[in-house]
Amino acid sequence: MLLLIALAAVLSRGVFIKPTNLLNLVFQNAILGVISFGQLLVILSAGIDLSVGSMLGLSTVLLMIFQFLGLPVALLLTVTIPAVFGAVNGYFVAQRRLPAFVVTLAMMLFVYSLAQVISGGAGIYSGLNGAPLSPVLVSFNRRGLLGVPLPAVVWLLVLAGMALFLRLRLGHFVFAVGGNERAAVFSGVPVTMVRFLAYLGASVLASVGGILAVARVGEGHPAAGQTYLLDSIAAVTIGGASLSGGEGTMIGTLLGVLILGTLNNILNLLNVSPMMQPAVKGVVILLAVYLNGRREQR
Amino acid sequence: MSTDRGERQVLPRLNDYGAALVLLCLVAYGVFRVPNFLSEMNLSAILYQYSIIGLLALGQLLVVLTAGIDLSQGALLALTSITTALVMVRHGPVMGVLAGLAVPAGVGVVSGLLVSRLRMPPFLVTLGTMGIARGMAMRIANARPVPIHNEAFISFGSGTLIHVPVSTFLWVGASIGLAFFLTRRPFGRHVYAVGSSEESSRLSGVSVASVKLAVYVLSAFLCAVGGVIWTSRLGSGSPVGGQNYELESIAAVVVGGASLFGGKGRVDGVVAGVLIFGVINSVLNLSRISPFWQGMIKGAVVLLAVALTQVRSGAAIRAPEGMARA
Amino acid sequence: MSAPVPLLELRNVSKAFSGVEVLHEVSFDLREGEVHCIVGENGAGKSTLIKIISGAYNADSGRIAYFGEEAHHVDPRRVLGRGISTIYQEIDLVPALTVAENICLGKEPRTRSGNVDRPTMRRLAERVLNEIGVSLNLEAPAGTLTVAHQQMVAIARALSVHSRVLLLDEPTAVFTAAEVEAFFRIVRRLKAQGLGIIYISHHLEEIFQIGDRITVMRDGRVTRTGPVQEFDRMSLVRAMVGRDIDFSRRSQPTALGEELLRVEGLTRRGVFQGISFGLRCGEIVGLAGLVGSGRTELARAIFGVDRFHSGNLYIRGVGRRFRSPCQALSHGLGMLPENRKEEGLVPSRPVLENAAYCAVQLQSRFGWVPWARIRRLVRAVIENVGVRCASTNLGVRTLSGGNQQKVVIAKWLAARSDILILDEPTRGVDVGAREEIYALMWRFKADGKAILMISSDLPELLTQADRILVMAKGRIVGELPREQASEEAVLGFALETSRGQRHVN
Repeated sequence: MLLLIALAAVLSRGVFIKPTNLLNLVFQNAILGVISFGQLLVILSAGIDLSVGSMLGLSTVLLMIFQFLGLPVALLLTVTIPAVFGAVNGYFVAQRRLPAFVVTLAMMLFVYSLAQVISGGAGIYSGLNGAPLSPVLVSFNRRGLLGVPLPAVVWLLVLAGMALFLRLRLGHFVFAVGGNERAAVFSGVPVTMVRFLAYLGASVLASVGGILAVARVGEGHPAAGQTYLLDSIAAVTIGGASLSGGEGTMIGTLLGVLILGTLNNILNLLNVSPMMQPAVKGVVILLAVYLNGRREQR
Repeated sequence: MSTDRGERQVLPRLNDYGAALVLLCLVAYGVFRVPNFLSEMNLSAILYQYSIIGLLALGQLLVVLTAGIDLSQGALLALTSITTALVMVRHGPVMGVLAGLAVPAGVGVVSGLLVSRLRMPPFLVTLGTMGIARGMAMRIANARPVPIHNEAFISFGSGTLIHVPVSTFLWVGASIGLAFFLTRRPFGRHVYAVGSSEESSRLSGVSVASVKLAVYVLSAFLCAVGGVIWTSRLGSGSPVGGQNYELESIAAVVVGGASLFGGKGRVDGVVAGVLIFGVINSVLNLSRISPFWQGMIKGAVVLLAVALTQVRSGAAIRAPEGMARA
Repeated sequence: MSAPVPLLELRNVSKAFSGVEVLHEVSFDLREGEVHCIVGENGAGKSTLIKIISGAYNADSGRIAYFGEEAHHVDPRRVLGRGISTIYQEIDLVPALTVAENICLGKEPRTRSGNVDRPTMRRLAERVLNEIGVSLNLEAPAGTLTVAHQQMVAIARALSVHSRVLLLDEPTAVFTAAEVEAFFRIVRRLKAQGLGIIYISHHLEEIFQIGDRITVMRDGRVTRTGPVQEFDRMSLVRAMVGRDIDFSRRSQPTALGEELLRVEGLTRRGVFQGISFGLRCGEIVGLAGLVGSGRTELARAIFGVDRFHSGNLYIRGVGRRFRSPCQALSHGLGMLPENRKEEGLVPSRPVLENAAYCAVQLQSRFGWVPWARIRRLVRAVIENVGVRCASTNLGVRTLSGGNQQKVVIAKWLAARSDILILDEPTRGVDVGAREEIYALMWRFKADGKAILMISSDLPELLTQADRILVMAKGRIVGELPREQASEEAVLGFALETSRGQRHVN
């Protein structure tokens, strides 16, 4: 069924599978892709992370601000500070067993507001010392590594990293924790740690997405991540993951991201007014979920 | 083998009244530390603003009780607004309001059918209908607000009766009605049943599909009512409003002690939850705290309230009083 | 002479799931005033048959007639309306509603204005519960009751609908002997009233006690149907498994080694007090007791699922207190939970993965999992335990109930724990698999490991355990070495209101 969805996308545009187009798709959607993998991790553990959008926004702001410390340090801070908040998420959800929806909702408000406080409510176009965004980062974005654009490289790295993680002990257990927490506990799985890592991972990946976002547009803004929240959830579910946990694959999420990306592309090309876009997306999501549901029932 | 009583937790009591407790603390803070908090203007402003969310939260409670969720509330608000305004321009206020109530209810039917008949997950269904409703609203309005010229209608939303906003009466009325429904009517009890154990309910002959359909329609209807009030206050139909209202309503419901897993939650808790947000808002505004900081404070309060009122019984493992530990 | 119309009649009913045939041309009928027992191994199709009768599933082919009328496309509601009630293995109450509300769910008495008529509802509930001889707090949420009480409420509910047919799927699984007796009294009374009762059970003794006719199923077919007098234990089992089983196989005592586990004065307020005993290498210690005696709670406290409030636990002489099963596992403990499905399996994941969880946790170093080695190990164990599945890569939920149980057992065997706590290891498991599990237990013993076996099956305890500890009301009230153990002795201890400990030397 998943393949059918992909096929449908192919038919609708024909150009879908051309390598240049695919590469372009990957390039365009790397940010969504990276965030969606983080969301996948959390959803697999039967949770959800509503704060990823705000984390992205925060990280863009942080990167701009910390530039003057030099790129490596700035990058480090940009990733670690949201990670701290991710750890807080993890603490409340994993250790204190509060519902993920509400915890991450609260965190979303909190982080967004924090980003606003730091940035003074507006976008940031230059670092604290007044200098514009380091040119290295911007050109890196385009040239990247050996001619492969940066976003694609990063996304691939994330993919590989997550694939590896899911084969390690704690990563492997994510499925069990999400699929049946009681059974996982009874089987001696360190459930709390696994869950905690999932939320930590989601925040880290969100901030990586933020770095890519800054690289693309050269600006940091608290609201930079707003659309990515729902899109990440949509991508993960279109890709076949179940919101109740324990089911889902990386390939599925990857496809989900690409489909969503294509959809955006197509809608723009067809001159569908931006007004209708959420509606169409809504229909596509419903369709995908329906098809996935049918597949499971068989 | 299990003994007759599991470990009786202190927390369930806290669960039921935690929201009221938090509300009390906040109000106390407001009364003693915030100037003008107790003024009639302020209190009435709180009620005025939050009656609409209050209506939404009631609808959300219904849905959450069945272990579902309704993300489309904000979009439905906007849809109501546009529909009411457009119809009113041509056919007068009465038809306008009727249309404004009927159209979102129709969307609610769609959501309800997808969840109940096709068994699709509520999160995604209402995510989809949210997008669709929002898109529809934008489309028919051509992304522009539609001004309303009917005086009577406009004053209705902002009117007060003995100093209390009209909308509040509606909210209170709806709350009482819902509370009655959930405790005294068989169908209301079935709502709890379906959320608590869908399979058992089904096997007992409860029409699970009808219950689920009903809650989404009712939620949409309550959104529509709120939407009518909102429109009247704005004086025009707006397709862009209502953003994130659903998140506030969900937060209010959860803070009020309802469980997202279904089967647990009460109207009084939800009312307290809504008022908690109202009071926070008011306190922050009166204390002249920059709007940027408000998010952080709200987030922290929500977290605190939830930590107090939520006990995750869904996957409880320590000394559970759970079902069928055969 | 014309026979009266059977209450229920199935003819050549077949049903398949995803291409796998679960029932093949099954014919069955139920007469008024009879208790018709259905027996068979796990996966034989008994539950599926019940679900078809109750309308939860629709048959693919064949005919079903209720009270003489043929039926097509039934659903549970309609079947219930016709007077056919089902009590499933998985208790189907609604946790959030009260006892009274559960009993009347779906047919609540109403006042003239349409509201729920609370007083009438209470009266109804009380009356029906009295018929069973049970008194409960009617306003208590069903979720707070013990499992046995929940079962009783479920039965009460069935009675309240004036059923003419009762389908009972392993109803006495968690009952004590006394409760079973009370239950049978009700069954006999219902029989006299002309109800037809279908009774599925693994407890062969019960079947001989209460049954009028027996239908034996194997692999989705009916192998034999006839009056209970035509069967004896041997022939019954033979019809079920197609081979003879020797019931007198006992475990052999082994030389005992060091003490692996010791508890002293273990107490959990309100649940168990002052528990003291030891487990040595090569021992199988049985833990007997009635419902409510606290055995499972004790096991859970030792294993780290729950806490204990005072007392000491020693593993290999070192004092420990486990905060989680994860910790317990790392110190060589394992526990097979009573509720296999909910506490033992992740339904969406493959069989192989499920069976490997413990092994993965134990054998990974710094997060690195030796997949090849683990896969080999787990596959071997799965085969040993006799799990029947098309492929170990399929989701565990595609397996039958009994096979799912075996996967959980396999998981714990693959963990190679030194101390294994088994909570009702053969409950819900068919006769053939039972033997396989015993054999595995014996091998465990011979390897110098220790087993603590909680069981309500007295013959099982008597034949498998080297020593039997008896618990009642949260205390150990007796200890019986194998030579002195007998059903009467065990029950004698179990039923005694605890007044200190009695050791039969």
